[in-house]
Amino acid sequence: MSFLAFFFIVASLLSFVMAQLVLKRAMEVTRKSGFRNLQFFSRVAGGIALMTISFFLTLGLLQRFDLSYLYPFQGLSVIFITVTAAVVLKEKLNLQLTIGALLISAGIVLVSLS
Amino acid sequence: MKIRPSSFGNPWLQLALSVLCVLASEFLLKRGAADVAEPNSAWSWTGVNGLASPLVWWAILLIIASFVSWLYVLRYIPLTIAFPLSRVVDILVPLGCWIFLGEFISTLRWCGIALVVIGLALVAKPVAQIEERL
Repeated sequence: MSFLAFFFIVASLLSFVMAQLVLKRAMEVTRKSGFRNLQFFSRVAGGIALMTISFFLTLGLLQRFDLSYLYPFQGLSVIFITVTAAVVLKEKLNLQLTIGALLISAGIVLVSLS
Repeated sequence: MKIRPSSFGNPWLQLALSVLCVLASEFLLKRGAADVAEPNSAWSWTGVNGLASPLVWWAILLIIASFVSWLYVLRYIPLTIAFPLSRVVDILVPLGCWIFLGEFISTLRWCGIALVVIGLALVAKPVAQIEERL
């Protein structure tokens, strides 16, 4: 794998993870101040923009690599999102959840490798 | 989990709906893309020619529906629980291919599916306990 391919794989993964975090933040805002406010709109727009970036980066990668090669990296999104949600969003994370997320990630990698 | 709506507004129901929409959309996309495939055209690399298939448009509608459900889920369920659970779709797709399309699943893939199921059970268990107490 070239450095460029690695860079784009990481970029598509990171933009996907960031999109989920931003969307979660957007929806948290609605619990306090409803849907008609600027914070909600700007965050949802940011989340959708990040998802779009991730979508097109993936589309570009798919033209160069097999899905079976790329999919395991998507499986890693489970563990990335679980950890970043705990760190950035201060969500509770215990050992059971961590092991669960690790097993799901490992399982997705195995499913896509075979 | 705080106070949240029940019946159709139940976030767990919405999570299931979101997963089902993604699952159905994957099969529709596969069928739709295969129906209108033009492997010799350079444009087909962009996937834009897929829009000629009505199945692809149904898939797009389902993807939008799943996104709306997902936003609703995010309103109530922590990301550390909702996102891992949403990945059940990664084993439902191969299982669906096995059941409906008669595709082969290797031993290694069955092991992967088993790992995901155990992981999902671990993530879902504390949730079930919280729900019971409510």
